[in-house]
Amino acid sequence: MPSIIEAFQSQVGRKILTGLTGFLLLFFVIFHLAGNLAIFGDPDAMNSYSHFLHQLGPLLWIARIGLIIIFVVHAWIGISIWLGKRKARPKDYNVYSSKGGPSKQSLSSRSMAFTGFVLLVFVVIHINTFALGDAGTVVVDGEQMTDIKTLVINTFQNPIYAFGYTFVMILLGAHLGHGIWSAFTSLTLRSPKASATIYTIGAVVAVLLAAGFLFIPLYIYFGGGCEAALINCN
Amino acid sequence: MSDMTINLKIWRQKNSTDSGRFEDYLLPGVNEHMSFLEMLDVLNEKLMKEGGDPVEFDHDCREGICGSCNMVINGRAHGPKHQTAACQLHMRNYNDGDTIVIEPPRAAAFPVIKDLVVDRSALDRIIEAGGYISVKTGAAPEANLIPVPQEVSNQAFDYATCIGCGACVAACPNSSASLFTGAKLSHLNSLPQGQPERDKRSIAMVNQMEKEGFGDCSNYAECEAVCPVGISISAIAQMRRDYMKAVF
Amino acid sequence: MNLDPKIPSGPLEDKWKQHLKDVKLVSPNNKRKYSVIVVGTGLAGASAAASLAELGYNVKTFCIQDSARRAHSIAAQGGINAAKNYQNDGDSVWRLFYDTIKGGDYRSREANVYRLAENSNHIIDQAVAQGVPFGREYGGLLDNRSFGGAQVSRTFYSRGQTGQQLLLGAYQAMMKEVHSGKIQNYPRQEMLDLVVVDGKARGIITRNLVSGEIQKWYADAVVLCTGGYGNVFYLSTNAKNSNVTAAWRCHKRGAAFANPCFVQIHPTCIPVSGEYQSKLTLMSESLRNDGRVWVPKAKGDKRKPNDIPEDERYYFLEERYPSFGNLVPRDVASRNAKLVTDDGLGVGETGLAVYLDFRDAIKREGKDVIQAKYGNLFDMYENIADENPYETPMKIFPAVHYTMGGLWVDYNLMSNIPGLFVAGEANFSDHGANRLGASALMQGLSDGYFIIPYTVGNYLADNEFSKVSTDHEAFKEAAETSSKQLDKLLSIQGDKTIIEFHRELGKIMWDKVGISRSKEGLESAISQIRKLREEFWQNVRVPGEAGYYNKYLEYALRLVDYFELAELMALDAIDRNESCGCHLRDEYQSEEGEAIRNDDDYAYVAAWEYLGVNGKLETKLHKEPLEFEFVEMKQRSYK
Repeated sequence: MPSIIEAFQSQVGRKILTGLTGFLLLFFVIFHLAGNLAIFGDPDAMNSYSHFLHQLGPLLWIARIGLIIIFVVHAWIGISIWLGKRKARPKDYNVYSSKGGPSKQSLSSRSMAFTGFVLLVFVVIHINTFALGDAGTVVVDGEQMTDIKTLVINTFQNPIYAFGYTFVMILLGAHLGHGIWSAFTSLTLRSPKASATIYTIGAVVAVLLAAGFLFIPLYIYFGGGCEAALINCN
Repeated sequence: MSDMTINLKIWRQKNSTDSGRFEDYLLPGVNEHMSFLEMLDVLNEKLMKEGGDPVEFDHDCREGICGSCNMVINGRAHGPKHQTAACQLHMRNYNDGDTIVIEPPRAAAFPVIKDLVVDRSALDRIIEAGGYISVKTGAAPEANLIPVPQEVSNQAFDYATCIGCGACVAACPNSSASLFTGAKLSHLNSLPQGQPERDKRSIAMVNQMEKEGFGDCSNYAECEAVCPVGISISAIAQMRRDYMKAVF
Repeated sequence: MNLDPKIPSGPLEDKWKQHLKDVKLVSPNNKRKYSVIVVGTGLAGASAAASLAELGYNVKTFCIQDSARRAHSIAAQGGINAAKNYQNDGDSVWRLFYDTIKGGDYRSREANVYRLAENSNHIIDQAVAQGVPFGREYGGLLDNRSFGGAQVSRTFYSRGQTGQQLLLGAYQAMMKEVHSGKIQNYPRQEMLDLVVVDGKARGIITRNLVSGEIQKWYADAVVLCTGGYGNVFYLSTNAKNSNVTAAWRCHKRGAAFANPCFVQIHPTCIPVSGEYQSKLTLMSESLRNDGRVWVPKAKGDKRKPNDIPEDERYYFLEERYPSFGNLVPRDVASRNAKLVTDDGLGVGETGLAVYLDFRDAIKREGKDVIQAKYGNLFDMYENIADENPYETPMKIFPAVHYTMGGLWVDYNLMSNIPGLFVAGEANFSDHGANRLGASALMQGLSDGYFIIPYTVGNYLADNEFSKVSTDHEAFKEAAETSSKQLDKLLSIQGDKTIIEFHRELGKIMWDKVGISRSKEGLESAISQIRKLREEFWQNVRVPGEAGYYNKYLEYALRLVDYFELAELMALDAIDRNESCGCHLRDEYQSEEGEAIRNDDDYAYVAAWEYLGVNGKLETKLHKEPLEFEFVEMKQRSYK
């Protein structure tokens, strides 16, 4: 019997870990989007939410470190699978095409490594821009807190950021389009019927998440920041 | 329908160390009722008449059950038709003047022996690692002693029907043998007779699969699409389940 | 030549039991000192190898395919018989025995067939324990179906892939022993010769099909499980690589070849569509339960089948055999299909086909019912023939399917060369002049699981073995003979291809040594075969070299042996001046065209001794008389 560590290093174990971490990241992304949408709420909602998270103190740090570990594991396995691919087929086909039918090969599934890698780079930039970014402060209900909302609005006035983010969010959608179903399959979903349903649901969720995320930068950019109809800055 | 002329572009490789190359052949007189392999027979007859070297390819039963044939035709293992082995593919699926590219299944675990013939003994070694129920000849109890629900038996059959051709490996972008391994595990692990060795079998076969140099499974499900007997990738999910159960 | 069948005395029911009590045993720590070579890994070979290895012998297995799992047993569709009587329809070991010996037209040994029926039940137990997914009833117990006109339901099946599932069971048992280290498995190796030292089989010569190297292997016993020789006809339902070479080379080393003319021709195959045809595909004979066989009454009627009115159709089986109709046995159905096509009534482009029509069955029972029964077969037909059998009648024609003849063996399945055992289709033993449906799988596994392990042990315990290595003169001689033959084939560089020769040989065999034979036809076949063989050695072109993977060289080598075997088959058919089972001699039939058996003069096994080939095949006939103590010989009638 292999030890648990060995088991998770096997092909099956790695895939289970990918699925597991993928799910956790998916939940994170959903919460993140919910947080983002606070920008359309009460003028102070976004900053209050951010402030609330900051106040969690050590809990926040545990979450952050956990998230980083999950993210690194997910990315690490993804990259190793991508590298293993070459080893398993040193000489590629001259002509290759999918047979269709039950195949889940698509732009989405074939570009998992690429979209994943872009997301990896993106996350670093994203953290640098917002979490470590130069945000001012604001006083809400007598409490001083980071003015993340203004930072977001200012950042997305810049077309490079607005369109860059939009592009990456499309890739996130592509990644999840295959990823959600794949995570279920990796976590041993067997029934072919349920599998078909989940594939469709997964694709819809992927599109909704991507749309949710990319709506914000585009809206800010085209709407002119605080002038935008749905965003209430004061 | 009159005879067709087919342009063939076939991978030729002397042995495992040769780097190999494509060669082009113009083959007139292809009848729509010919099987794909019969078309290659005709090509070989022509080549031998001209003093050339015939194209080597594995084939045996030519009725879709032995699993010998496994060539990649225009980028698809066993050609364009679903649930059809190359030997059961007929030339009526092609048109006059078509170009057909034929390559061997490509995987590090399947070294080329000659032309389209590869060494698939890695699949045998996966079975050797644990793809059996250890019952000695003569030790078997009366067959009807253990009832097996019909749906369990039918499901076991669906996985047991694997012909071991390796098309799943050939078509997988990662060259994974998960469908092959999963099918045998799902067959044996689902039957009451297979329970005593279930954990040991699951671990041994999964480990051997990796040792042979097959790639990871990324759930592309291309294996299911090319499988000549249509084995579902639920076999792979079952394999993961059984493996993890065995560990914990 | 000593052809003592060594059948134990005593009542039929006790012969095998008594024999098991009498066989000598090898003690466990001595077993590991013995080595056994098993050639071929089909049902017989894989099961024998696994069982011998489990006992502790050192086993080496050889097969020509790239994996032991691909042996042609895998293609068997219908099922496997066993006398379990699970259906409570009165089946018993005796009935299975009786049906088999009667079906074989009384040309097999009572004792062997009875043992086969006895072992049938153990096979099912063994297969189920291995995880073979047989068809089951709702209650979870094993299901059976009636097959091949049997009056009881005794056939166990795994959908239409029973051979595949049983073979995978045996293959897995074999791989288990590869894992344990008791079996050394050598795929892609072709046996080219048997090595006989001091009168005993002590090893084999093989060609490594990948490297082309000629290799020598020694052992204390050799078990040959290399299948049948149907491919001598060029077109057959056999796999392309199935061949007679291993068996024939043993024959040339002294093993008697028995009843070579007994060839089963299956009536329901998809007909030949053109010159390029490489093999024939069997359609389950269950189709004749609902399909009606007919041809147009008028010669050369080119109308579409559905345009031919009822009164212009000739339902020849129904008219000639009113009581059995379309369900006459395989040999009768095949023969009649040939008769009508010989008369010019055949259909299709080649005129070598008859219709199998489901129109009336669909009208009577509805398309859904027919689809439920035969859907997969109809799909298979449509894929190959490109016609929809729900709308237009199928075209079928007989094809060579199984060879009952093979190397002569005694009750222990040992040939007349001590130490050379022969199992499965490669031996002649259990099916007489005709094999019943669902009996081939039964015989292969009975031989491999339940006979060979005991009888090989008996032989090993009973004999002294001198130390022999592959440096022995006999190994060198055999290896050189094989090498020289390869070189000779490659040196001819003529201008006819191997397949052209094989096709010509096949046509001679099919026309004259096929469904029906006559003295005149057989004699002309022999002279044609000799001429063609002569031409082959002058004018064949074998491509490439011997030092690497070269499938056409393998093919040429096999054809060499077919040329000699073909002549022996014709000689055997001439010798047998009677019609029995699948062997129909035009001269020996009643006025209504029924086979007439001659039990007074031909109730024997014809065992042929090889003397050489010198323009013609030099051979000597030995006869093993068949005695029927327990059953009465009856004439078959299906009128």
